[in-house]
Amino acid sequence: MIFVIEDDRGWESYYRRILGDSAEYFHDGVAAIAEMDFDEPPALVILDVLLTGPTGFAVLNEMRSYPELMNVPVAIVSSVNLADDIAEKYGVVAVFDKGSMKPAELLEVIERYA
Amino acid sequence: MESEVFSANSGAMVVAHELKAPLSLMRQLALSLEFEKDLTGVREVGQQIVATSERAIRQVNDLTKIARLDDALFEMEPVNPRVICDEVTAELWRLFEFNRRELRIDYRNKRRLAVANPQLLHSVVYNFCLNAMNYGGEELPSEVSVYDRGSKIRIEVRDYGPAIPTKIWREIKSGFVKQPVATPMRPGSSGLGLYIASRFANYMRSDFGLIRHKDGTSFYIDLPISGQLSFL
Repeated sequence: MIFVIEDDRGWESYYRRILGDSAEYFHDGVAAIAEMDFDEPPALVILDVLLTGPTGFAVLNEMRSYPELMNVPVAIVSSVNLADDIAEKYGVVAVFDKGSMKPAELLEVIERYA
Repeated sequence: MESEVFSANSGAMVVAHELKAPLSLMRQLALSLEFEKDLTGVREVGQQIVATSERAIRQVNDLTKIARLDDALFEMEPVNPRVICDEVTAELWRLFEFNRRELRIDYRNKRRLAVANPQLLHSVVYNFCLNAMNYGGEELPSEVSVYDRGSKIRIEVRDYGPAIPTKIWREIKSGFVKQPVATPMRPGSSGLGLYIASRFANYMRSDFGLIRHKDGTSFYIDLPISGQLSFL
């Protein structure tokens, strides 16, 4: 199962269109982590940065604090301009800028991990 | 960690970030058209692009209006708040639908005409509604109500979302939002809509405020009642 953590309703609607029932959708990281099954963690987490409540990075750090969730692949999709080394720094599989991302790039990550 | 996101928290940055959101969504939707399998899907994506672009255009127009406020180009006149609210809800229903939200209307006012500038009042109500759409909880409606309150007519928009940050609450209680404020608590509109509404309400000499509920927030504008009779 893919977890999409995105609080912008327009983007959520976009993800629903391309992922449908293969994903679960959350508007904040606290609710998403609460729903993560440690025995069967998400195959991929698509994570926004500016979220209701803790930021995406706080969510990421919280996930990494659990051994069961430590290796869950995370793709950051955000409209915030992030530094080039952010993927390496936070150990995520991809970082996409909403302003320049191509659907095929995201689909490639989804196919690879989910 | 947080500084990587919020290091440049100026008003201009917040506005830029907020306007980037619909632009990047429209781009993404347009690019995704090639993956649509049938005409119905293409039409739906097209409608979402239109609804998203209209929202962005309105925000840009509102920011332009703010720059022209000092020229006093917006005259006050008798307006029917119900007509304004009908116009706004008609404009927004599709965006609400795309975002899986419901917008309810409740008109209880006996006095029909208020004094306002129709363009600016339209923008105030629009931004209240957009704010409610962004912050409303899953499966919960946003509500527009119009009712009499002493010598004023109140237009109120209620959401059922997370509590508003104290910083913004204080600014609104003071009756004026100085600049859009980025907030991780309610990032959907980052305060831009409230900033616009505040500026327009202030220009119209109307009272602008909010009521904090345990399960959301109501934003309101109180308009002076017009002495002119309404036949609407």
